[in-house]
Amino acid sequence: MAKVTIYSTPTCVYCKMAKEFFAKNNVAYEEHDVASDAKAREEMVSKSHQLGVPVIDIDNQIIIGFDQRNIEKALGLGK
Amino acid sequence: MYDVVIIGGGPGGVAAGIYAARKKMKSVLITDSFGGQSLNSAGIENWIGTTNLSGYDLAKNLEAHLRAQKDIEIIDNDLVVGVTKKPDGTFTVTTREGKTLETKYILIASGSRRKRLGVPGEDQFDGKGVVFCTTCDAPLFDGKTTAVVGGGNSALESVIDLIAYSPKIYLIVRSDVLRGDPITQEKVKSHPQVQILWNTVVQEIKGDKFVNAIRYKDTKSGDEKVLAVDGVFVEVGLLPNSDFVKGIVDMDDYGHIKVDHRTEETSCSGIWAVGDVSDVLYQQNNISVGDGVKAILNIYDKVKKG
Repeated sequence: MAKVTIYSTPTCVYCKMAKEFFAKNNVAYEEHDVASDAKAREEMVSKSHQLGVPVIDIDNQIIIGFDQRNIEKALGLGK
Repeated sequence: MYDVVIIGGGPGGVAAGIYAARKKMKSVLITDSFGGQSLNSAGIENWIGTTNLSGYDLAKNLEAHLRAQKDIEIIDNDLVVGVTKKPDGTFTVTTREGKTLETKYILIASGSRRKRLGVPGEDQFDGKGVVFCTTCDAPLFDGKTTAVVGGGNSALESVIDLIAYSPKIYLIVRSDVLRGDPITQEKVKSHPQVQILWNTVVQEIKGDKFVNAIRYKDTKSGDEKVLAVDGVFVEVGLLPNSDFVKGIVDMDDYGHIKVDHRTEETSCSGIWAVGDVSDVLYQQNNISVGDGVKAILNIYDKVKKG
């Protein structure tokens, strides 16, 4: 099972869509709310060099945004 | 051969899709995603029949209502990239994922997308201080200095979203007036964290790893200045998604597809357009729904006649 972490904000719909996608595909994930958690925010920025959510870490592969195709690839979900 | 290919999954496309299914037309709806541009909206308070819902919930509702119909095919995660009219008057539609569809009629409800500034640094710093979704990313600018570019409703709402986080917000306005709701205008104008720079145009977004400044021009004095900011929120309006029918249908100077507002049919017989991609006077979810229904009923009349 891949280790999946999502960095999100409560107001970001693409984060919601990504989490729904994980739920639908039975992918367990850890979530960090970078709006309230400054430490997680720093961690996200240093990992991704991005100031935008969602950032998704799948086994240390960083995916920017709800990029379904690359998420499927990283998780090995074949179509 | 389809009766109709519906392009777009916003309110206009979905409304047309539901009616097409209920009329049992041989139909398909192609869309990248559902919900249209309200998707990012934190709260919609003018969707008739619902006092308040998020753009996300509106999108889910639209998708669920369409998927509840048996008599329509849905192709999602795909995008129409080309339309050709054949000598017999029918059409071939091609998609990004390589699908080719033959159809008698086409309804375009592809909406619009955000306009970009088109200045150096904008692409380079996209996601590195340049922001196109304020509701998503405003919290990342906690304690930071920001600039919002634009003078309409979306720019004003972007400023309001940022007030909770950014202690200093510059609003970069091209002219000397704000557009948008008077109530929001007053709130923005009178807020101590907000400074409005009138008659200013962004020339360049500068930075190192992340944005650290913008260079702008004062169009009255001609002076150029550099302003230190950590974030640039681009809210300068919309562009219609009509590129795939350029040269096939008549458009206005901005790329909106011209339609007969009685039927929604375009200058090309067999193609209809509704919602924000059309030259509709008011760009509203509720209007797109009505226009989508109007168009599909007009198409149904043609299908019946054969």
